Amino acid sequence: MLALAIVSALLLVIDLNSRLLDPTRALLATIVSPIYYIAESPYDVSRGVGEAFASRTTLQEENEQLKRRVLELSQVSQQFVSLRDENARLRELLGSRRRLGAEVLVAELIGVIPAPNTLQVEIDKGSQSGVYVGQAVIDADGLFGQVVEVSAFASRVMLVADASHAVPVQVTRNDFRSIAAGTGRLDALELEYVPITADIVEGDVLVSSGLGGRFPRGYPVGVVTRVVVDPTVPFAQVSARPLAALDRTRHVLLVFEVKQDPPPAPAVDDAQAPTPAEAAP
Amino acid sequence: MNPFNGGCVIITSLVAAMILAVVHLPETAPQWLGWLRPGWILLVVFYWVMALPHRFGMISAWVTGLLVDVLYADPLGVNGFCLAALTFVTWSFYERFRMYSVAQQCVVVFVMVLSVEGVRMVVQSLARDGGFSWGIFLPALMSTLAWPLVAGVLGSVRRQFQVD
Repeated sequence: MLALAIVSALLLVIDLNSRLLDPTRALLATIVSPIYYIAESPYDVSRGVGEAFASRTTLQEENEQLKRRVLELSQVSQQFVSLRDENARLRELLGSRRRLGAEVLVAELIGVIPAPNTLQVEIDKGSQSGVYVGQAVIDADGLFGQVVEVSAFASRVMLVADASHAVPVQVTRNDFRSIAAGTGRLDALELEYVPITADIVEGDVLVSSGLGGRFPRGYPVGVVTRVVVDPTVPFAQVSARPLAALDRTRHVLLVFEVKQDPPPAPAVDDAQAPTPAEAAP
Repeated sequence: MNPFNGGCVIITSLVAAMILAVVHLPETAPQWLGWLRPGWILLVVFYWVMALPHRFGMISAWVTGLLVDVLYADPLGVNGFCLAALTFVTWSFYERFRMYSVAQQCVVVFVMVLSVEGVRMVVQSLARDGGFSWGIFLPALMSTLAWPLVAGVLGSVRRQFQVD
């Protein structure tokens, strides 16, 4: 008993203070991840049955909606191409480096970590798909979180609203920079170290600033919901609501940053650049 | 029956407990229902140590605990220690526990789950922000209520497959 207690304490100290045990965790997680798949399977079956028996009219309506949505998005993406090229030319004129492109990989949630004091989920892509620790995860509306543990066929994602998570952000209106820290509640982020004189108001949109090098820049993170300025404390209390649907979404996107600079041609096709997703077997 | 078959039953019951421990409710169910989750793994380990102390020892409990650490995203070693300690205590008193009525066993389960949750909370407060919360009484209470069910089901499984 004593020996096991000592070994446990050693493991605990090492795991809390370093990343030395990450390979061990990954191995154990590979053994354990099927349990998440099994626990999720009843939902998969019920969804499958529901889709198989969906009525013709429902499907037609959904099809119509999706077609409209594709049209709208293709219009936006046409503009995006010309704006991207213009942006690249302007950045060249300014002598600054061209923004790097990004590739995404769709992943599905297979479980929620059952602990009340942490906000983490399990997704169905792992190191076999090229997922790595620290990778940014987004959903259709905004930044979702980051990968904190990878096993062979699954990985764990910490949500942006987790109490031990923080992401560097900036306000789109005036590029004011801050750090959005999670609160442990799904519907709230807290901006840290905002001076009371800072120009920030309710409704400001926060996007990831890319400082710190972990998250790619420009993904929406949240909307400011409340600004409390109390002259007796040095910092303003700024709350924001995460834009990603943290408690509803089923599909998320893993963002792979394209490592090498794309060739300096006027129109760069992101699809040409190899990505870890495609490189992986 | 041969010893390997008995091992299969024990491992299957542990895997079932792990699945119950992580299975999530449908999105339409209210959030607070998730808090009322009994410590299935603790109950199953407690049952096997009490029923078959020569089959399920501290090393098995510790290895199970390592897997639970990864399952719960806890720091490595916490649940290993907790399950090994639970096994140690149960192992020391298993003859007495077997003689207890179900109500008395429920009290034992309450104390054990509460202590384990307490240790987990202390370690988690070291790892992340957080402090004392009365929330640890909920799993203890639910485990107490779930114990007669677990003991009944595992008892009939044990007799069915003649694990000993």
